Amino acid sequence: MSASDRRVREVFIELSDTLVDDFDVIEFLDRLAAHCSELLGVSACGILLADHHGALNLVAASTEQARLVELTQLQTRQGPCFEAFTTGHPVQHADLRNARARWPRFAAAAVGGGYLSVQALPMRLRDTVLGAVNLFSATTGELDADTITLGQALADAATIGIVHQRALARQEVVTEQLQNALNSRILIEQAKGFLSHSLDIDVDEAFALMRSYARANNRRLTDVADDIVQARLTLTRAPDRA
Amino acid sequence: MELGTTWRGREESVGDARAMNNISMLRPLGWAIRPMAVRVWTDWVDHDRSARVWGAIRAVSNGGAPSLAHAVAACAQALSAAGAGLAMTRDGGLLEPVLATASEIGELDELQFELGEGPSGDAAAINAPVLEPDLAGLAAGRRWPAFAAGAGDRGIRGVFAFPVSAGAAKVGVLTVYRREPGSLQVEQLEDALTYADALFVLALDGRQGISTDLDEVIEAAFTARRAEVHQAAGRLASQQRISVTDALLRLRAHAYGSGLSLYKVAVDVMAGRLHLDGDLATGGHPPHRPDPTDPEQDEKEQEED
Repeated sequence: MSASDRRVREVFIELSDTLVDDFDVIEFLDRLAAHCSELLGVSACGILLADHHGALNLVAASTEQARLVELTQLQTRQGPCFEAFTTGHPVQHADLRNARARWPRFAAAAVGGGYLSVQALPMRLRDTVLGAVNLFSATTGELDADTITLGQALADAATIGIVHQRALARQEVVTEQLQNALNSRILIEQAKGFLSHSLDIDVDEAFALMRSYARANNRRLTDVADDIVQARLTLTRAPDRA
Repeated sequence: MELGTTWRGREESVGDARAMNNISMLRPLGWAIRPMAVRVWTDWVDHDRSARVWGAIRAVSNGGAPSLAHAVAACAQALSAAGAGLAMTRDGGLLEPVLATASEIGELDELQFELGEGPSGDAAAINAPVLEPDLAGLAAGRRWPAFAAGAGDRGIRGVFAFPVSAGAAKVGVLTVYRREPGSLQVEQLEDALTYADALFVLALDGRQGISTDLDEVIEAAFTARRAEVHQAAGRLASQQRISVTDALLRLRAHAYGSGLSLYKVAVDVMAGRLHLDGDLATGGHPPHRPDPTDPEQDEKEQEED
């Protein structure tokens, strides 16, 4: 196990504290992706959700590099996340340099991005698979059983966060919440594009800027994004600490 | 439910909007590449649902160019509804009922907007679906007292409202009315979301005066969900000081006019390779984008798949 029990406890408390009414799902998943990397001792984490077309969408990634590798997976419909999503079971590959036959494009992009092994965990809600969490490592080798158990607990936390219903959510509520998460992501992408032009920065800097502004001002990330695209809020390049 | 879709009194407003924005556009030489893009699309999606939804729209349009009215009618049928209506807005402002499958259904849309309460307005406000399986229930009566009573008088028990939107680009609300109380099945709910996606692209195209064939709409409706398309829309909105809706509309018009996929146009805009007739006074440099996967190459390979 790569993190102390104390730290694991802190993270779960922090995540459950986030699950208040009116919480921001993208902010939650973004934090979760960062925590996954930290607690599981992996290099990066990406979270993908299925939409009503049955296509996977990237909703959070802990690093830019992971985002690009995930996008390869989405574009080619092959890779561990797709397999975890379609089968509902964890998928692991200990050395991606040997995975070119299985996932040619994904393996090339992952190795090119500096990742040598991968673990994908399904995000399950009873008999439905909502998406998958991908864990990338810069080193070869399989994650140990304890780490995978903790990773699955974090994936389950992501599922609960999206569904945002502690008890037995009806399937229509799940679909509704999933739709909300995907639509929030679209809004964030629009705001990233908007800032990329107005501040002449790349889209990842734009995202980091929005996130730090939202945190510093205790606002929901999607509300900040909405204000940006409606030209109600102008951010400056240095993180605003007002 | 009757098959035919009755356009209501407000139809003129849609016609006017079209006329105002009518940019004449000739079908480009590059048109021949279209079937390829459609094949790419079919690779990505839930074949059954999409095929069912688009097949239903095709059946209602009877081989002609698909319209908003066709999609609304097909959706009402798919959800075993008494009918459905579409209310539209310019850039997230006031919603206005524009069409319904029958006049008595249009009256329900009108009733909501006259009263200033109801599921459609709420769906637009929160930009998420509002599903009310029983208007006679306590919760609905408390939430929309006048509308619940008025709809009940007209024999309506279930109301399901779906935003026709993508992020900040809000074009309207699709509202489905049922006579029987009860929740939608999950399949019906997901169908309704797919119909709302179709309406989103049909509405953008309607504003441009683009009359699309169905395969074209299918491809655009699906790619309209991808991250790059929305980044490009945001970038264009900032560049040209226009709304995100108008920015998406320009991306879509450019894709249509050039015969390129919407995705390819978006990637080119983000890479600074393509400028859509706007002022480039600020941020003229392409954003720095380290990209080992080369989206352009990806696109090519997809089309070859």
